[in-house]
Amino acid sequence: MAKFEPILLKNRGVVNSTALKVYESRGGYQALRKALKMTPETITEEVKKANLRGRGGAGFPAGVKWGFLPKDRTRTLLCVNGDESEPPTFCNRVLMENDPHQLIEGTIISAFATQAQVAYIYLRVEFHEVFHIVQKAIDEAYAAGILGKNILGSDYSLDCYIHRGAGAYVCGEETGLIESIEGKRGQPRIKPPFPAIEGLFRLPTVVNNVETLSCVPHIIERGGDWFSSIGPEHSTGPKLFSISGPVKNPGCYEAAMDITMRDLLEREDMGGGMLPGKKLKGVLPGGISMGVLTADELDMKMDFADPAKYGLLGLGTAAAVVFDESTDIRAVLRNVARFYASESCGQCTQCREGTAWMNKMATRIESGAGRNEDLDILLETARNMGMMPGLSICGLPDGATFPIETIVKKYRGELEAAIAAQSAEAAEQILQTMN
Amino acid sequence: MAKIIIDNQEVECQEGITVLQAASKAGWDVPHYCFHPGLSIAASCRLCLMEQKMPHPQTREMGWSPKLMPACQTPVRDGLEVRFASDKVKQNRANCLEFYLLDHPLDCPVCDQAGECHLQDYSQRFGNAESRMVDQKHVTPKKDIGPKTLLYTDRCVLCTRCVRFTQEISGTNELCLTNRGSKNEIDVFPGRPLDNPLQGNVVDLCPVGCLLDKSFLFKRRVWELKGTPSTCPGCAMGCSIRVDQADEHVYRLKPRYNPKVNDWWMCDEGRFGFEYVHDDKRIAAPVVRRGKDKTTPEWQDLPGILKTRFETHVREHEGASVAVVLSPFMACEEAWLLIRFIRDIAPSAVLVMGPVPVEGEDQQFPAGATGDAVKFTILKEKCPNKRGIEMLLEAAGGETLAFDAFVEKATAGEFSAGWVVGGYPKAWVEKPVGKAAAKFELLVAQDMFENEFTAAADIVLPACAWVERDGSFANHAGLIQPFARSIEPPAGAMRDGQYLFETAGFEGIYSGERVRELMAATIPAFNEVCEAPPVPAHTH
Repeated sequence: MAKFEPILLKNRGVVNSTALKVYESRGGYQALRKALKMTPETITEEVKKANLRGRGGAGFPAGVKWGFLPKDRTRTLLCVNGDESEPPTFCNRVLMENDPHQLIEGTIISAFATQAQVAYIYLRVEFHEVFHIVQKAIDEAYAAGILGKNILGSDYSLDCYIHRGAGAYVCGEETGLIESIEGKRGQPRIKPPFPAIEGLFRLPTVVNNVETLSCVPHIIERGGDWFSSIGPEHSTGPKLFSISGPVKNPGCYEAAMDITMRDLLEREDMGGGMLPGKKLKGVLPGGISMGVLTADELDMKMDFADPAKYGLLGLGTAAAVVFDESTDIRAVLRNVARFYASESCGQCTQCREGTAWMNKMATRIESGAGRNEDLDILLETARNMGMMPGLSICGLPDGATFPIETIVKKYRGELEAAIAAQSAEAAEQILQTMN
Repeated sequence: MAKIIIDNQEVECQEGITVLQAASKAGWDVPHYCFHPGLSIAASCRLCLMEQKMPHPQTREMGWSPKLMPACQTPVRDGLEVRFASDKVKQNRANCLEFYLLDHPLDCPVCDQAGECHLQDYSQRFGNAESRMVDQKHVTPKKDIGPKTLLYTDRCVLCTRCVRFTQEISGTNELCLTNRGSKNEIDVFPGRPLDNPLQGNVVDLCPVGCLLDKSFLFKRRVWELKGTPSTCPGCAMGCSIRVDQADEHVYRLKPRYNPKVNDWWMCDEGRFGFEYVHDDKRIAAPVVRRGKDKTTPEWQDLPGILKTRFETHVREHEGASVAVVLSPFMACEEAWLLIRFIRDIAPSAVLVMGPVPVEGEDQQFPAGATGDAVKFTILKEKCPNKRGIEMLLEAAGGETLAFDAFVEKATAGEFSAGWVVGGYPKAWVEKPVGKAAAKFELLVAQDMFENEFTAAADIVLPACAWVERDGSFANHAGLIQPFARSIEPPAGAMRDGQYLFETAGFEGIYSGERVRELMAATIPAFNEVCEAPPVPAHTH
């Protein structure tokens, strides 16, 4: 396979890559200059042509999303989703830490394309360092006339603010994020109306992921056709993948979306294989929400289409976390269940109660008092929640059910063996103490 | 009107409402917690989910959508087809109710809401008999959130109706959600208890036993209560209410939906303002005084006594001057009967409007709202029927007086005979009237509690509380609203309407409706009364 020339990460490793002058010396803000001479419509057309699909997890085409804005609007807002709250995911963080100006440039171009007057960059509260880096870049951009009134001498003006979250997974959902920026309790809104019609402060709003917007300058600079030539037809453009767990080179890597999970894990320029003495047991390839792959399923392509064939929800954040043979699958199950039980916002009954119940069952199974029927109830509960069957306002419970469902289905033998190996007496005692 | 199809049946419904409302109106029992027509839509309880026919994204062929849709969030439109009677919908309800009961303490035997609890009802109708959870329940505390209300968080279904009420109707924002997921709890902010003039409504809104009235706590099982439609006498608004009584004792008042007056709400002042009804100090029997001699006449003799005394007085006193004080707590019918009686005997009798209690200013909710944004108003005029008495005075014609002028003239000895009606829940004779009362040669005082008029009166008649009477009040806007009798008057007393009916020369049993028919002949306004519209059985 030909070596992939980094696009989004091209400035990573460059000395002082976060500085404006370094960014500009490497071709930065040329795309913005070009874009300001284009019309918003032609920019949107170019992004549509590039078939840029949202990098936040759902993969919705960005250009189409912009097209939902009402034609007769007078005010528009742009939200940059840098909540990156999906466990094992650190693609946005790498982008913002190394190349904040790329994000700002993408934000300005996208804001121009949607005719937004204000852009809010929403950062999760844990991104302390990122916050300072991006804030410094914004300040630099304002000082250089790249942000603020009459950007680069054009008629277009844009203000850009950072809003820091307060630590909730669900604020990565676009309407949860909007509520959070408004200063409210972070919980998703009912739709319709969709944000494009009535979003932040009840104004037409576009919410895009950091990585999605970071792609935009390259699309403008090199054209939608160039972008769509990278990777498979349905999954175009460069994509960041992160990998963590007991691998030789945990980190964030850039590739086209034709790579497989095995490439990401084993290629020398990527994960580099398992640590010596470790044997892979499974991997959660798209953040934890998408579900689990066993050691036999590593040939899954990391694109928007292939994961469904393996029973997964989707590509997700393309952040793989690997676990090895020494890991008790019950611990994986419990850790996943615990996360969603603590992160469900609690609005919708099925998600609120279902995640908590699954956590209770998983915790009990791990502590040695599991029952085979618990596995059936886990599967049934997983089917009884989520946005896809219409049982919730947002997609959080879908993300909660896929890992649990796939773990139980794909590792059922091991779970049943662990339950069978329990001492009945000890299990009874645990059950008594837990009750 | 829109036509939609629910479970293969065509239903005609008003445009703009939700499928849930249309279905409830047409008789479907669609379970729901978070939806309330007076509040914003939350669509979070996910109980009312239904199947909906939609065009296939590619073939455009109509078919049942794979997703369930919330009936509370789907507006009706012509041709819409939905179903609740499918296995998928029923399965979701059962699952949902199992979820609701996971952490619920199942303490119905000691819960005030038992019997009118929608978690009980729905679990029985749509749920499972047993929980499959063997793990420990997550226990949350009972909270004292305000002077009048308790919050049992462990029984909460997190529908957030109460939170939305304080945000959208009272505008006081005391309630909030804390924590996340299944650890969610309704709470108040530190140092800001739930204490606003409308807070009692959150108890009505709560579909389960989470929010409870301290004043009703452990007082009575709800299935022992009998409800009677009534009108609140607390202010000139005249909210439509229901009086819940058992064994001739009023336990609580609840609002009834009336879009012309109070929507779904009532204020705490009205809600808790009935304690005087069961006050021991109430006058319970008629008294006739002759000098120092005090007797209690038989009720059947009383109309005769009253008639004879007034007739004799007018006949024997040249230039007799009679005054009648009508109270704004009287029903229109009672006042009409009294006016008729007195003007029959003394055609020039002076009619006096009793004092109209006023406290503070009108209060509008949410605070600062104007026009359509006003969701509820508490009026400063603290009596139910000033407008009604005014209508009757106008119709009766002749000389009328304000109360202060009446007292002045009475003190000057200008009236020889009088009939003073009180019936106020609070002490109403504010200035000393002893001198005025002593000047009457014949004085009848009709009241609930003793005061200077009853002390000086030749005949004292017990007045009944509104829950013991029936009739109608005309509210500030002139809407004539009937109220029904809920309990019997205290032993020894008789309903005002009945003795006034007989005194005015009618025979038989008094009823507000019967008298209104007579009144309507001369006062056309009484042809039409404002009744609260019926509410579909399964709404709450």
